[in-house]
Order: sequence, then C-alpha cells, then structure tokens
Amino acid sequence: MRIVTMDPEICVACRNCEYACAFKQAGTFERRDSNIRVSFYPQERVCIPGTCVHCEEPWCLEVCPAAAIGRNPETGAVEIDPDRCAGCKMCMLACPYGAIRFDAKARVARKCDLCGGDPQCVKFCISGALQFVEAEEAFAFRRTSLDAKLTDLLGLAKGGRR
Amino acid sequence: MCDDHCALNVYMEEGRVVDIDGYKEHPWNRGRLCSKGRAAVDLVYHPDRLWKPLKRTASGWQEIPLEQALDEIAERLRGIQKRYGERSIGVWKGEAVGFAQQEEMARRFVHAIGSPNYFSNDSMCFNGRWIGYTVVHGAWSVPDYEHTRLVLLWGANPPHAHPNMTQMIMRARRRGAKLVVLDPRLSAVARQADLHAPVRPGTDGALVWGLIRALLERGAYDRELVENHSVGFPALEAYARAFTPEVVERETGVPAALLGEIAAALAKAAPAVVNYVGNGLEHHENGINNIRAIAYLDTLLGALDREGGNRLAEGFPTRRLTLYQERPLTELGPIGAERFPVLYGLRQECHTMTAMDTILSDRPYPLKALLLTGANPAMTNPNTEKVRRALAALELLVVRDLFLTETAQLAHYVLPAASFLERSELHVHAMFQVVTLTKKPLSFPGVQDEYQFWHDLARRLGAGEFFPWKDEEELTRWLLEPTGVTLEQLAGHPEGYPYRSIRYEKWREAPLHTPSGKVEFTSQYLKGLGYPELAEYKPPSYQSSPDPAYPFVLVTGARKLLFYHSRFQNIERFARTGRNPEMEMHPADAARLALADGERVRVRSRVGAIELPVTVTAPNEILPGTLQITHGYRQANVNLLTHDDVFDPISGFPLMKAIQVQVESLRRPATPPDTTP
Repeated sequence: MRIVTMDPEICVACRNCEYACAFKQAGTFERRDSNIRVSFYPQERVCIPGTCVHCEEPWCLEVCPAAAIGRNPETGAVEIDPDRCAGCKMCMLACPYGAIRFDAKARVARKCDLCGGDPQCVKFCISGALQFVEAEEAFAFRRTSLDAKLTDLLGLAKGGRR
Repeated sequence: MCDDHCALNVYMEEGRVVDIDGYKEHPWNRGRLCSKGRAAVDLVYHPDRLWKPLKRTASGWQEIPLEQALDEIAERLRGIQKRYGERSIGVWKGEAVGFAQQEEMARRFVHAIGSPNYFSNDSMCFNGRWIGYTVVHGAWSVPDYEHTRLVLLWGANPPHAHPNMTQMIMRARRRGAKLVVLDPRLSAVARQADLHAPVRPGTDGALVWGLIRALLERGAYDRELVENHSVGFPALEAYARAFTPEVVERETGVPAALLGEIAAALAKAAPAVVNYVGNGLEHHENGINNIRAIAYLDTLLGALDREGGNRLAEGFPTRRLTLYQERPLTELGPIGAERFPVLYGLRQECHTMTAMDTILSDRPYPLKALLLTGANPAMTNPNTEKVRRALAALELLVVRDLFLTETAQLAHYVLPAASFLERSELHVHAMFQVVTLTKKPLSFPGVQDEYQFWHDLARRLGAGEFFPWKDEEELTRWLLEPTGVTLEQLAGHPEGYPYRSIRYEKWREAPLHTPSGKVEFTSQYLKGLGYPELAEYKPPSYQSSPDPAYPFVLVTGARKLLFYHSRFQNIERFARTGRNPEMEMHPADAARLALADGERVRVRSRVGAIELPVTVTAPNEILPGTLQITHGYRQANVNLLTHDDVFDPISGFPLMKAIQVQVESLRRPATPPDTTP
C-alpha cells in the first residue's frame, strides 16, 4: 500500500497541506478541519508535518469500542466510519502520534483516509516535503542526501569534477 | 490568475467548474499546486462578480447593455481626443486579467489610437530586477535549479511569492545543494536555509560588495569570463576594496563571520550557483544599483549561463503585437519618459506615479482619460490618498475588472472582465523552454475577453485596422506564424511543447545583448544618462539621515500564500484563515511599547496613518526596529503610508520597503489600581 511520508527537512510550514485537507474534508481552509497538521517552532527553525501513517497494527482500531475503525481494502487506509463513531475519543488517546482529531460540530473523531487513494495534502504540497509512496519505499529520501554526498566524494576520488 | 503559470486540471460538472488541482505531466509544477489555484472555483462564481456594465449616474450605478457602454465610452474618448489631443488618453494594464498576451494587446491599442501612454503595475514591480540584470548582462537570467549546488536568495520568499519554485529549491537541497537566504525576516523559505542572514532593509548593496571583495581577495572568480567577456573589472576591483567585513557588518547588521561563511560557500559551489533576486530589493532608494551589483556575482562566480547557475533563456519567437516600430509616438512625450529614461528606454513603460502628478497638474500636458483593465491602483499604488484624488479628477475613468474594486468605485464606467478560465492563451515557461496553450473551459454572455474588448473599442475609434483578427484564436494563429508551430500542435501538448533545447555558455558564440556585447560592470549607457557607471552603494535614508520622530523602519509587501496583491481578500474562506491584516513586530520592540500580541496600533509615516493589530513574532523572525505590513487590505491599506515622491533614480520605483514610521498603542490607559486600604 501507499502512504503519505513527511520530510521535516524540506517542509517550510506554508500550510498548503492543511488548506487542501480542510477543503476536501469540510470545504473550508481552516486548520481545525484538517487531518494533517504542521507544527512550526520558529526559534529552532523546525517544521514538522504530521498525519496518520496507517499502522499495520492500529491501536486506534483496536481500542475503538464501537468497531467504527476499519481498513479500506482498496487503499489500505485506516478509516473511521462517522456513522458508527460514538465520539468516545479513546482512539485519540491511543494514537501515539496525535494524528486523530475531534470534530466538535459533528461530534465524531476524524482522521486521514488518504482521500480514497489520491491524497490532497500531497498534491497541494508545494515544497515536496509530502510524498505519496509505496510503504516499501517510504522515507527513501533519507538515503538521497547521503547518496548525493557520497557520489560527490567518490566521484572526486575518481578524478571527476565538482 | 497569478504569475506562476501552473498547469491545472479543471474539473467540470454540467458546465460548471467544481474543482481544480495540479496537472502532473507538466514539467513546471509536476502536479503540485498552491491553494490560490484551487480558489478559482470561488473566484469565477463569486457572488460579487460583475456580469453587466455599470454607468455612474447622479442616482448611483446603473446597469446598461454592453454595446451602449462601448458606444458611450468611445464617444467620450473622441471628445477628449478633440479637446486635449490623442495623448491625453492612457491605458493601464493590471494583473487581474492575466500575464500573457493581454499586455501587448493593451500596448497595441493605446498606440493605435495615437497615444504613447501605456501604464501598468510594472512601473513598481518586475521591471526593476529586469533593468538591473539587463544593464549588466543583457537579460534577466533564469535559475537552473535542477543542476545547482547553491541557491542564494535576496529578498525572495518563493513559498509565498512563487510557490512552485519551492519544490525546485527543495529538490536541489535533497541532492546536496546549500540554501542561503538574505532577508530581514525569517521568511518561510528561510526556515530551511543552511545560512540565513537578516540584512537591514535596503543595505543589500553593501552586503554584495562585501561578498565581491571577499571573492576577489580569495582569487575565487572566473578569470575567463572576466578577462574575455566583461568590461570595467578594474573599476569594480577598486570600488570593492572599501567593503571590509567590518564595514559591511556596521552597514547591514550581518556579522562579519557570517559574511565570510557565505563567501566561502559561494566559492565552493561556483560556478553552479543560482543567484536570485526577489521583489524585496526593488522598492528602495538605491534598488537598481543594489541589484546590478548582485548581478555582477553571476559573472564573478562563473554562474552566467552555466549549468546549475543563472541561465540566459531563449524566448519563443512569436510575432509582437506592439507598434513601437510602426508608431513609436515618442515625440508626443510618453509620461515619465523624460524623468525616468531607463524605464521608458528599456521597457517602454510609462511611470504611474508621474501620471498622478500629471492628472492633478495638467503638466507637461493634460491626461484626462484612463482605461484600466484588471488594475487596482487605488489599493496597490503608493500614496493612496493622492491616487484617489487623481483618479477622481479624470474626465473619464473606465475600469474593467471581475469585481467592483476600490478603483472601479471611482470610475464613470465599469465593465465586466473575463477570468483566466474564460480565455485561451499562450504560456511560455522560459526555465524549461516549453510553450503551453491553455483551454477555455468557460464563457459567459456579455463578458468579453481582452482581445474582444480592445477590438470592439478600436473599431469604434477608427483604429479597427490594427485589430483585424476575428477573435483571440485567429490572433494566436497570427502570433504563432513565425515560430513554425501550429495551434493544433500546441493543443496536442498540454504538458508543454519544447520550442528549443536548452543550451549553456552561449556567450562563447554570440555577443551578449548589452551595448558592448560583454558583461558590463561599468555601463556607458547609464553614465551617458548621468548615473554612476558602476553600481555604487548608497545607504538608505533611514540610516544616513534618520528622523527621530519616526524611529521604526517599515517594510511593506511581503507576500501571503492565499492573497495576490489586492486580490482574493474577498474570498471568504481565505479571509478566515488567520489574522488579516497584521503588522509584524519584534518582541523587544513590543515589550518597549508595552504591546501584547493582537493589540491594535496606529502606524504613521510622513504620508499618512493606518490602524491595525500587531503580531509579535519570535525574536529571530524579524529584525528589531523593523516592521512588516502586507499590502492589499481595505481595512488597513498600507499604501496610505508609502511614498510616491521618493524613487530609485534609475527605475523610478517608489520607496516601499524602508519607510520611516512611528507606532502608538491604541489601548486606553488602564485605570490606576485602587490603592485604598
């Protein structure tokens, strides 16, 4: 399955992903309607996007007393059925990443559903910090920078030019 | 809709646009898009959109049929031509109607009816950078992000101003490129910078001269380019000597050690350095010379037209719609051409600030009518109070727009204009050297596209021969003729038609487009006009002659992601996203004035005053003593504070990014505490 990966070394906290998600979920551009959140810590200059990574053993799913949380067989997304959700909020407590929010208007828990396999946050991510990739390839960007550095050095050692 | 020209998918249901996202196959945005693009759904069907022509009458606005409106406008224009001469009419193209063929249509029309007075927002945006770079090496180069090893950004914040550049910069970073950002604010892009130097507004010239000195001292410059392809190097070498790290630190606030680090990083990454200047450098008293000196870096680093550097793009050779060969009309004295000969000489751009003086004084001759299309100077030009007075003094003001803007409210006639989804046009992406033809998914009865409007009005004024094409499609075919590419071919390439493969080091084969054919560190062209031949540095007046009554330095015009100058503020779901408008302030300044985040203040310059809430930033997000207010908000229009009489002497660009202001709290003093026992 494919998941949304997040790179805090690329994100500029522009919040386009939040706008895109809120637009899809609620037709607004408001942060509180978004299932992805970007934290920005100015003094450290750190930007951290965060959304559901669709765990193989989702604690939210296991803890839900209403059996409202299930896995979408097509996309692999862990989804909340708002019609079954009792609004008990235990899934929010169970999620170790804080990726579930409470919709105070509808009085149900909400989380990323991968937009049915076409996540809007990724399409509207202007920096490229968000990628929609096969789980096997997730966080491959961690290797890209290292590879670039090594290529440079090894290339030089072989007489290449900078 | 914005100058980033992203490729879009437009989703329709029953003839109505229901959603918009990015088109994956286009090399420009690779399927990614910012939220402004999506908001076109709200823009097109906005409840306040204009659908019918409006005529001002004694009892208010009256809706009239389009044909009648055009007839009446033409008749009044003929009267004005007869009474004051052809040159008493001006045309002003704004951004709400597009960035492609719209400009040349407007230029063509005004010359066709015998006036040289074409105005646009470009007498205060874009042209400053274009002039700075073009004087030095004959063109404003494009960044080659895909191959770069270091990106150096001067007063540019791509995530908010050119969102799509962000992914290009970040892809380069993933490949190991460094990012250096020079900005008084910790802008969005600076959050990921390897080095961020908060430079005092308007002092970038001193900083770049310091970098030039450091590079020369290390011998880290491209000898081949300098010796064989440039003029004026000895003058540059001599002038740079004074800019020691200590002098630069005193002038710019950038620590000497940081300057050294930046110089070392540039020398290491050369020649693959992207050296990019944003709008932040243009609105200063010494703006053009600061930009020229930055352009020198391209040559010294060897980045000029090299892989990974600043490439000299090759254009798409369409026909031109302008009439500067056939009908130059310079003898009629284009407004501002004498005062700012470089702006007119290189860009054929009349000067909008001078136009306001002309309207109010009838000097050097009367300017009595303006036709504005997609422009909102009553919000975006400096010194709003005077702009409003001038526009209201016209005998005829016609405004075409999608909305009844602040400017349209002053008009005698308001005509509905088409959005970008209601026309088909050519978009050239010089960075990739591809051309794309957009589709026209929508049209509304009575709403003319730009071509139809100029065509119909020209016909009524006896200038129909200049607009012989039936419609915009026929016109586009004519434009394309010399390119050898057909409309059908372009329609078959929504991913962009590559019109020319990318080449580097073209200066080896052909002279540059400067008078000497070489890189001009010294310019005889500028010297001949009375300007310094070298890009000398002059400190901003808030630094050289500070006025103690106005102790803060105000920067205006930093972009916000969801707004485009004065547009999209009327999209309600955008307006709800944050504090709009706001003034950014350093926490130490806020503490000194006992201001809490969100409190209202009055900001006053020599020109005027506005009231708005203050946003107290983190200590590293803006320099102490510096403030920032984004423009475009009718609740607190920052152009009530900006100068329309202090200019960069070369470009005529107004001072908008280093304004001396004072700030006072609007909070009522608290009741003294009750001290009775």
